[in-house]
Amino acid sequence: MVLPLLFLALLLCALLAGWAAWFVVRDRAVILRQLFGAAAVEAVLVVQAVVAGVLQVQGHAVDGPLFWGYLLTAALLLPLAAVWAFAERTKWSSVVLCVAALTVAFLEWRLWIIWEAGL
Amino acid sequence: MSDEHAPATGRGFGRLLVTVYGILAFAALGRSSYQVLTKLADAPAAYLLSLLAAVVYVVATVALALGARPGWRRAAWAAVVVEAVGVLTVGTLSLTHPAYFAEPTVWSGFGQGYGYVPLVLPFVGLWWLWHTRPGRNAPTSAPARPTEA
Repeated sequence: MVLPLLFLALLLCALLAGWAAWFVVRDRAVILRQLFGAAAVEAVLVVQAVVAGVLQVQGHAVDGPLFWGYLLTAALLLPLAAVWAFAERTKWSSVVLCVAALTVAFLEWRLWIIWEAGL
Repeated sequence: MSDEHAPATGRGFGRLLVTVYGILAFAALGRSSYQVLTKLADAPAAYLLSLLAAVVYVVATVALALGARPGWRRAAWAAVVVEAVGVLTVGTLSLTHPAYFAEPTVWSGFGQGYGYVPLVLPFVGLWWLWHTRPGRNAPTSAPARPTEA
C-alpha cells in the first residue's frame, strides 16, 4: 500500500458514489458508463494488490490473511454489486452502486490501517 | 423470478436491502472464519456464535434475493427473526455480562462494531417482508419504472 494509490482509490470511489447519488436524485437507473467507472476503481485495486505484494515480499510486515481478505473483499464487491444493480432498472440500482462504492472506500481506509499497523 | 405472482423481495427497495445484507454477510463470514481458523481456542463460544450469525446473514441474503418463491420467503422470515432475537439477546447480555463476551461478536453491544447495522437491518427486513407479503394489492416492491432510464 502506498498513499498516492490510496488517495486515487478513495477519489475514484467518491466520484463514483457521487455520480450514482446524482442518478438517485434524478430517479435514474445505473448506466453502462458507470460500470466503466467501477472498472477504473477495480484497476486501482489490482495495482494496489501488486504493489502490496511486492512490498510484502520486500519485507513489510502485515497481518497477511486479514489484509488480503479485506483486499479480496474490496475487489469482489463492485463487480458483484454491478451485476446485482444492473438487473434492476429503477433508481434503486443507483442506490446499490452508491452504497457499494462507499463500502469500497471504507474498506480502503481499513486496508490502510491494517497495512500501517504491521504485525 | 420476477415473473412469479408473489411480490419479489429482491426488487425495488429490496435491491438495496439485499445489497446491505450481502455486504454484512460477507464481512461477518470473512471475519468469523478468520477468527475460527486462527484463534478458535481463545474464545470458542464467541467465535462460533459469530460464525453462526454469519451463516444466518448468508441465508437471509440469498432468501431475500430469491424471495418471490414461498419457500425462500419462509426462509427469509426465519433468518430475519433469528437475527432480531440474536442481536437483542446478545446485545443485552454483552452489557449485563461483559465477561461472557470478552471477544467481540457481530451482535455484541447491539452490533456497534458494524455501525449498528446488525441492529437496524433485521427490523427493516421484517418490515420489508411484511410490506411485500403475498396477497397484497399492487405490490409496491416493483414501483413504476422510469421511462427515461
